[in-house]
Amino acid sequence: MSPLAAHIVRELEERPRHFSEIVESHLDVPWRDFLGAWGEVRAADILQRDDGGHYLVPKDGPPPGSKR
Amino acid sequence: MAKEGFRDFLRRLEEAGELRRIKKPVDPRHLSALMAQAREATFFESILGYPEWRAAGALVSTRRRLAIGMGCAEGDIAPRFEAGIRQPIEPRLVREAPVQEVVREGADADLTAIPIPLMHVKDGGPYISGTLVVSRDPQYGRNVGSYRMMYRTPRETGIDLVSSSDMRRYYQRALDQQRPLEIAVAIGVHPYEMLAASYKAPIDVDEFAIAGGLHGAPVELVRCRTVDLEVPADAEVVLEGELLPIGWTADEGPFGEFSHITGEVKWNPVFRVRCVTHRRDPIFYILQMPWENDWLAAPVIEAAGLQALRVASVEPVAIRAPVGSCCYWTLVASIRKRPGEGKNALLALLSVAEVKLAIVTDDDINIYDPDELDWAMTFRVQADQDVLIVSGARGKHIDPSVRAGALGKGGLPTTAKLGIDATIPEGVPKEHYERLRYFAKDAVRLEDYL
Repeated sequence: MSPLAAHIVRELEERPRHFSEIVESHLDVPWRDFLGAWGEVRAADILQRDDGGHYLVPKDGPPPGSKR
Repeated sequence: MAKEGFRDFLRRLEEAGELRRIKKPVDPRHLSALMAQAREATFFESILGYPEWRAAGALVSTRRRLAIGMGCAEGDIAPRFEAGIRQPIEPRLVREAPVQEVVREGADADLTAIPIPLMHVKDGGPYISGTLVVSRDPQYGRNVGSYRMMYRTPRETGIDLVSSSDMRRYYQRALDQQRPLEIAVAIGVHPYEMLAASYKAPIDVDEFAIAGGLHGAPVELVRCRTVDLEVPADAEVVLEGELLPIGWTADEGPFGEFSHITGEVKWNPVFRVRCVTHRRDPIFYILQMPWENDWLAAPVIEAAGLQALRVASVEPVAIRAPVGSCCYWTLVASIRKRPGEGKNALLALLSVAEVKLAIVTDDDINIYDPDELDWAMTFRVQADQDVLIVSGARGKHIDPSVRAGALGKGGLPTTAKLGIDATIPEGVPKEHYERLRYFAKDAVRLEDYL
């Protein structure tokens, strides 16, 4: 995982965030690089969603049978 | 005669003073916010980090711009649309296509190479909002629809396939056989193709033939490179790939809906990209929510209203789906009324899609003038005689008042419908509504006294 993707994972382990909050904390990163890193986080299959639409990464990993 | 395309529409908007060009480089994260501040449709000539791309959006965010795209007066949008769908013209297959000037397959088919914008604060990701999605079913044939797509990875997007649609049926049939459904996603096409895709055509009717009827000339299609489908040859971009046979299991959304409200996280299928084709100098089309989506819905819902009135043997004069109802939930129509037809017209209009408010007036009322409409509703309506309420009709999830959240997963909401008959009541002489006329109005001119 790239350093940027790993950074995003750490942010989502801290607390649930809307996608736009993650974007706002990396505005210095070219959009294409950001999309690439977000794709890495997605592909790692560790993301969860809450009812408010936030993304989160449980520190202990996803529960068994969690969705894509 | 060749039909007009996306770039012809941009030219027409510019000629009418309805297109603003932004020359300074713009970050894709700011495209939507800038479009929201512009009074005109917006054309971005330089996108930061995407040197070969330009972008355009908010193209049909007003009734005037939609009328420009359709080449008609604003009041003629519904009849123009209705006339087009009555005379479909079959599409024509061509070998060479601008949209295949650049072909990127395999690892080169990379969605991060396209300036897909983040649009709203609570969106679940960047969205491809203005799509023309083509699919095929072995039994029913080709289908064309419009579905939002959320960026997931360089090779995957989500796709909102929750609502009932022909493509949802195609996908379900493929899923039952545990096979993927090939689709092709065209971006940057003429509004007629977008309108045809929005039209709820019978499952065996080709939406490209409807688009041809609207253009008055065949839509030219080209075969895709990696899927057994055809797409408009003059599109700006095409994504070829497949919907994975995983069912409704991947998170998608929220997205700023056409109801002007943020939606919820949905569970949807995933689209995997095999190939990206585009023009040498592609323009990425951003359908700017909500207004642009609303105005693309207007002709479809208005034409459905006209058809419903004619089936009910009521003669329509004018119809409009007001923007305050997102051009979807309300229909206002004026009619040439015979006794009882105010109510017949209401019953007809309330049968259209999820329309939940219908207002019917006589043909002396200009339904585009809100003051005239208020006047008719004030003086031609007795609430105990002229208001119709129907409970428990089919509703739509994104209307918060249907309380869809209480239904549980997969539940379908119902809604109440309201009809207001603002025609002159039976038994009241028309003369009672004679408008004021000023004495000597035509004999004197104000300018002569200034």
